[in-house]
Amino acid sequence: MFDTLLFLLVDGITNGAVYGLVALSLIVIYTVTRVVNIAQGEYVTLGALSFSSALSGSFNLFSWLVAGGLAAFALLDLADRRLLSSVRIRILLIRSVWIAGVLLTAFAAHKFPGSYWLAVLAALAATVSLGTLTYRLTVEPVSGASPIVLLIVSVGVYMVFHGVAVLIWGAEPQSVPPVVDGGVSLGPVFITYQSLWICGFAVLAMAGLYMFSERTLIGQALQATAVNRVGAQLCGIPVRFAGQLSFAIGAGFSAVSGLLLAPLITANYDMGFPIGLKGFVAAALGGIVEYPTALVGVVLVGLTESFSAFQISAFRDVIVFLMVIPILLWRNAVRPPEAHEH
Amino acid sequence: MPNLRISGLKVGYGRATVLENLNLAVSPGELVTVLGANGAGKTTLLNGIMGLAPPRAGSILLEDEQLVGLRPEQLVARGVVLVPERRELFGNLTVEVNLRLGGYRTDASSKSLDRIYSLFPILAERRKQKAATLSGGEQQMLAVGRALMAGPRLLMLDEPSIGLAPLIVQEILRVIGQLKADGLTIILVEQNARLALSVADRGYVLEVGKIVLEGTSASLSTDPRLSQAYLGGAADYAAARDQVYVD
Repeated sequence: MFDTLLFLLVDGITNGAVYGLVALSLIVIYTVTRVVNIAQGEYVTLGALSFSSALSGSFNLFSWLVAGGLAAFALLDLADRRLLSSVRIRILLIRSVWIAGVLLTAFAAHKFPGSYWLAVLAALAATVSLGTLTYRLTVEPVSGASPIVLLIVSVGVYMVFHGVAVLIWGAEPQSVPPVVDGGVSLGPVFITYQSLWICGFAVLAMAGLYMFSERTLIGQALQATAVNRVGAQLCGIPVRFAGQLSFAIGAGFSAVSGLLLAPLITANYDMGFPIGLKGFVAAALGGIVEYPTALVGVVLVGLTESFSAFQISAFRDVIVFLMVIPILLWRNAVRPPEAHEH
Repeated sequence: MPNLRISGLKVGYGRATVLENLNLAVSPGELVTVLGANGAGKTTLLNGIMGLAPPRAGSILLEDEQLVGLRPEQLVARGVVLVPERRELFGNLTVEVNLRLGGYRTDASSKSLDRIYSLFPILAERRKQKAATLSGGEQQMLAVGRALMAGPRLLMLDEPSIGLAPLIVQEILRVIGQLKADGLTIILVEQNARLALSVADRGYVLEVGKIVLEGTSASLSTDPRLSQAYLGGAADYAAARDQVYVD
């Protein structure tokens, strides 16, 4: 009995760490851009799948597509005739280095198949860039639109990502190796090293994001944009840079959680969506704005999932998604809507 | 030294046009006030210059550069800075972080931070406090301080006196006067005409989106049309003041 309990606890916390990373991504993106990003789970999928193909050393179409998108937007930005020439040179430099980074990591992974960290780098460069591209292509043109419009746009983005993932990688699941094989026995329970990596990365990511937003001017600018968009604009903070940055952070965290989770559940084009939704359930506990409350949420969701999977496995997801109703009721009771919308 | 020329400016929101064919000029180092009642379009004018409400027609030249079509952050980079009426501070960030963010474009040194603290000593005392916990007057000082951190060449102030106690208003006027003495070019939008004319070189009077009167502060102060509409007769003013204090 105690063994089972301990096992479910470990399982729940590992899942919770993954949802935590996704919840964190959702919160960063929502606070800065007001997008409730339904497509967030797709970055989990894309992270896992692009990692898997980078590791196998096969031609990485995904990276090339992303690099092409980056190049197109770089040209568009440079075409703005009103740019100060110093800014133009800076744009040209940063974008070239960026595009080169995406292509070089993809090329290096192709040259040295099987190199774990090279493949992580390639997958991360491509997904993070895709995050910024998604912001430029789908959010910026409708900036200032109501949250419901932004949400619907993100549903569209989800559908496109989902389809593209099938097109590029097919429907077959891909097996992905863990960082290190094996695990450690904690009394009667065996904990894989991969679970520890996931939890460790989640903690690191949260601490890193906290330090970034409290200690650096850019991090504070991101917070400022989240609190007061007009005020941020008046300080000269480019809000579209803030938006791109939030999407980049969100995409990166989710992609890493995907490639770390993949060894435990195999990577396939369908893996991300439910993870994205569970991250959302957890984030909803904090109104998609409060990190600490969302952390309670992810532990709650992770444990509920593992325990319900053990008791009545057919209803595992149903129970987790049902949680959103009491969560929203509770949220409404402690923080009525009019209190946090301006 | 900037030289601002606005001509044929048209600004609106949605289907409504608020300003049409507006002309205005500010010379280097000048303090120009824009007066008018509520809803005359004063804030819209500043939002138009700042790119928050992109102009639909006309031109805004700063020196020889066209400002129409630039985004707010590009204007800040060119030294055009606005202190908005609603202040738009970052309530859950500290006073010091608010100020540092004001200098986001300029990589503001601690020297410029010290300058703000010497202009508004109360902000130095409150530096670790969250902006939302400040009093109205302190928030206004913070808003002005944050704008100054951007290193403005043209500073625009939208009703800095609104809702503040007379003593705080004096404090803010003192700083505006000091900035003008330092050679900063300033546009001061005010509903309180008497106050604004006491510091401005020249003024414009805006009425339902059109400029109906312009001139030096001295000539506007004595203009019967303005004194009737905004300054009130001396007797009326005293009566209104007594009314306020009785209430």
